[in-house]
Amino acid sequence: MAEQKLHKQHTALGNAIAYILLVILSIIWLFPFVCIVLQSFRAPSEGGGGMVDYLVPKTFSLASYSWLFSADSNFVKWFENTFIIAFFIALGQTCFVLMVSYALSRTRFAGRTFLMKFWLVLGMFPGFLSMICLYFLLKNVGLTQAGAIPGLILVGVASSGMGYYVCKGFFDTIPKTLDEAARIDGASRARIFFTMLLPLSKPIIIYQALVAFMAPWCDYIFASYIAFGYSKSYNVAVGLYDWVNTNDYQGYFTRFCAGGVLIAVPITALFMALQKYYVEGVTGGAVKG
Amino acid sequence: MKKKVLTVLLTQALVASMLAGCGDNGSENTTDNSQKTENTDATDKTESGDTTDTAQDAPAIDYGSGEITIWVAENVVDLTQKLVDDFIASNDAYSGYAGNITVEAVGEGDAASNMITDVSGGADIYGFAQDQLTRLVAAGALQPLNDNMSSWVTSSNDAGAIGAATSGDTLYAFPMTSDNGYFLYYDSTVVTDPTSLEQIIADCEAAGKGFYCDVDSAWYNASFFFGAGCTCAFETDADGNFTGVTADYASDAGLVAIKEMAEVASSKAFVDGSSAGEATNVGAIIDGTWDSAALEDMLGDNYACAALPSFEGADGKTYHMSGFSGNKLLGVKPQTEGGKLAMCYEIAKMLTDTDAQLERFNAQGWGPSNLTAQEDSTVKANVALAALQEQMPYMIPQGQYPGEWWDLAGALGADVENGTLTVDSSDEDFMAELKTHDDTCASLIQ
Amino acid sequence: MKKNSNNVLGIIAGNIKNIGVTFKEGDWKTRVSFLIMGFGPLMRKSFARGLAYLLIQVAFIFYMATEGISNLSKLSTLGTEETHMDPNTFLTTYGDNSFLILLYGVLTAVLCVLFVAFWRLNIQENQNEQEIIKKGGSLPTATQDLKSLLDQKFHATLLALPVLGVLIFMVVPIIFMICVAFTNYDANHQAPSKLFTWVGLENFKQLFQFGGNGMGSTFTTILIWTLVWAFFATFSTYFGGIALALLINKKGIKFKKLWRTIFVMTIAIPQFISLLYVSKMFAADGLINTYFVKWGIFERSYNFWAHPMTARILIIVLNLWIGVPYVMLMATGLLMNIPADLYESARIDGANRWQMFKKITMPYMLFVTGPYLLTSFTGNLNNFNVIYLLSGGGPTSLKLYGGSGYTDLLVTWLYKLILNSTNYRLAACVGILTFIVVAVTSLIAYNRLPSIKDEEGFQ
Repeated sequence: MAEQKLHKQHTALGNAIAYILLVILSIIWLFPFVCIVLQSFRAPSEGGGGMVDYLVPKTFSLASYSWLFSADSNFVKWFENTFIIAFFIALGQTCFVLMVSYALSRTRFAGRTFLMKFWLVLGMFPGFLSMICLYFLLKNVGLTQAGAIPGLILVGVASSGMGYYVCKGFFDTIPKTLDEAARIDGASRARIFFTMLLPLSKPIIIYQALVAFMAPWCDYIFASYIAFGYSKSYNVAVGLYDWVNTNDYQGYFTRFCAGGVLIAVPITALFMALQKYYVEGVTGGAVKG
Repeated sequence: MKKKVLTVLLTQALVASMLAGCGDNGSENTTDNSQKTENTDATDKTESGDTTDTAQDAPAIDYGSGEITIWVAENVVDLTQKLVDDFIASNDAYSGYAGNITVEAVGEGDAASNMITDVSGGADIYGFAQDQLTRLVAAGALQPLNDNMSSWVTSSNDAGAIGAATSGDTLYAFPMTSDNGYFLYYDSTVVTDPTSLEQIIADCEAAGKGFYCDVDSAWYNASFFFGAGCTCAFETDADGNFTGVTADYASDAGLVAIKEMAEVASSKAFVDGSSAGEATNVGAIIDGTWDSAALEDMLGDNYACAALPSFEGADGKTYHMSGFSGNKLLGVKPQTEGGKLAMCYEIAKMLTDTDAQLERFNAQGWGPSNLTAQEDSTVKANVALAALQEQMPYMIPQGQYPGEWWDLAGALGADVENGTLTVDSSDEDFMAELKTHDDTCASLIQ
Repeated sequence: MKKNSNNVLGIIAGNIKNIGVTFKEGDWKTRVSFLIMGFGPLMRKSFARGLAYLLIQVAFIFYMATEGISNLSKLSTLGTEETHMDPNTFLTTYGDNSFLILLYGVLTAVLCVLFVAFWRLNIQENQNEQEIIKKGGSLPTATQDLKSLLDQKFHATLLALPVLGVLIFMVVPIIFMICVAFTNYDANHQAPSKLFTWVGLENFKQLFQFGGNGMGSTFTTILIWTLVWAFFATFSTYFGGIALALLINKKGIKFKKLWRTIFVMTIAIPQFISLLYVSKMFAADGLINTYFVKWGIFERSYNFWAHPMTARILIIVLNLWIGVPYVMLMATGLLMNIPADLYESARIDGANRWQMFKKITMPYMLFVTGPYLLTSFTGNLNNFNVIYLLSGGGPTSLKLYGGSGYTDLLVTWLYKLILNSTNYRLAACVGILTFIVVAVTSLIAYNRLPSIKDEEGFQ
């Protein structure tokens, strides 16, 4: 498609075709989101809040949104939960990843390659198998149902050291001579880590935190496993997913769309603001695996 | 008059349950005076009944104290909480549980799988659909009913509901509804004759509307098989194991049914689905009472219901579509303390008695399983329930089926839809498919 | 892999030899330390270290005496006492819980391994101290020890928590689930009401058996589709993403940032919202069908999700929507890194744009993005979200076992086995096989990647 356009000269025609392509693709890419937004404003009188087979609602209304904030709905609580989980996971994961990356990138010790290979192999086991086991581990210490939020944070942070690849790749690109010079001056490794490396790592820290922050908003399986039967501990994904997948909830589709918009807007805004760092991380990660 | 009957029933229930509790609490005589008086009051009121003699002799029950969690479907959470709170407040003997009863919204499907994941972390009392019964029994998530509760349930509910709550010879749950069956909803401006499947499809095609029929669900496609005269039934024992099966889908009748499914699926009006919330273009839909409100909204003045239609089979004969009639049940989790067990029984009983069933009917349209509630005039006047009632003679009470069966028989419909089998397939192909079904059924017996 | 295992064996043999030598050449303090950990350091006045070792031993012995031994002893049967209900009082007495027995057994076993490791360290410690004293040096003080944790041993400080976290929340569950594959833990053997026990290789036999209630054909179908899917999903998004990046970065195209922003929306918006909606769009009575019928493109509505072929194709196509922007972002950065003089000299040689793309851009991209392609491929093998949210694994068929469908990946099948049929034993087997598939594909490739080979090359 696009490749064929390449050998064309830099003519106005070439650009026009490129623009047309981009516009068409953009429409395709944005179409579902526009639909979701439109549906979220559909009045409940139309189709009873269920799905419809047309695009533009005949009557616009804020009913779905106001319902989300009414006493009938736990949406605000779920949003708060998810935010708390996402915030602490972002914090903890970033710390863990930085720690592991520094140790693996800057120090050489017995068992280093073994550790890296071992973790690589561990990461190949499908995570679902662990769910029931993690549930009972957490239950033993009271971190399920009512305590599901700290439980989810703990699980989210605990094994996150394994995702060090991108960050270590970044550290590897910072010249080692910097460290050596500092060590000759008598700086300890801890000092080098905190005062030299961390300030240089702003892009990768932001990338790690952003990725970690975004994940919990989409966790509809594990979170429902840990919090089951206690709706105050749900996150938004668990709550909203139920609305479209359980027969008990008829006519919740517009509410689902409204909830979706409310989640997507802040995350998208955050993502757009930090996009630069995300690109750096993704690019670096692609090369360093 | 009716109200009086209810009170008598209720008080009888109370007495019966106190009897139930007396066995386990002989040694504990710590009940204080106020509780005793309250209990005597309750028994006094039943003087007009006929169980008073024994009741007065019975020592008061110590229900103890503790926390109880109840899981019910989202739309009846508030109602259930109110019923339970009133109930606890009505008797001092229950005071140990005041304020400690939590009602959570957990849908019937989720409730079963959550209970199975972790019985100890699950609810003490929970609502579920009957197809989960054996699975829950096998997982040890259901407390069998004691003799008193059993006789109460048996005497106050319809036969289908009692069968639904039974595995082997043991009653495991309290029936909540008898409306888990399906029938036809249609748009009265589209469908001219709701008694003929061919006509319904033709009308929908002409109007550019959809005929919604969930052929890849075992629960819904049973309407074709049972309608054509097939049988598929499993026997269970009291531990929730499957001990025997009769399945004859691989027969002339089965052939008629699956060919009809292929016929329906070949129509351009056909849409696979049974969820009103997801349906966008309803001309007619085979669905149950739980979607009545959503469909009433959707179809407005053209909203209409009827029993399932008849179809003309490939052999030229006419068959009336059948289906399952099923129930929602309320179960109690196995308990280790006598007091709490007695309390759970009481609450489950209260939540499934005539009054509670009528309240749920009035609030959400849940069709009662309770015989007295079924006679209520508002229940009888409900359009959707009337259609269900009309369909009732053609339906088969849904017994117990292994979980794998639902996937298995659902796949029969999926194969009709996904092109493995079409209207043009040979009889041999159809038969081979049906034979696979019957053989696999046999292999599900342990 | 083979080299690795040789290494491990060699290391173990070396350690055992070393322990023997230490015992033979050690003084009495060292020898007592074989029994009482930390005895040597304590006697040599290295109190902090000695005390730490001693505490570890005391805690371990206490744990083993109170719980550990009983946990391990039940491991061979996974419990014998059944849960029963008193037929008179209707009260339930819970017996052994096979699940918890296995879980605690695994935990205890891991603790034992850890203890052995500490015991080994304790011996090493003695040996080191002896050598230092022999050379006339002085042992490090507690303060020095603490300082070294921030300097020479900083890696230990940094890695302690992450490694512990992985051990408890990854390693223990994985060992546990591997064990489950050799038990009969399923719907009819559910803890706490029923016991389950070891059955050897029965489950694997059922998985590989063709005909009867074996699942050989189902497994093969799903495995093949998983590989096909991962291949197409990886390369379609890869080339699509590069194409899009080239398009946006084409000279003369304005508002580059705006275009990029439009496409990356799919990364920012949670998939359970967007994919779920898109899935409904393609339903038989969804938006797409309705409008296509209205515009006369389709004669009748077509249920994409009900037909194996269209469902599979649609999933791969819709995955572009999710995957292309990601590659586009990555490629944008990488394309700028291609040395401009390469293109310059090519232009002088008279190469056209297509030739330059073929001879310079693609080889460069393929070379540098090797690791991405690998992680993306293995990621797609386990791409739960896209499949589960779009098609739910359907369409199902009587030809496939237990509710699995034509678009099920191994990982979604595994999830269905757990959720719908509580069949943990088979799910664990499928999990192990999934692991083998992923491990085989990636370990082969991993060792061949240029950037892994010269890890130090970048530094």
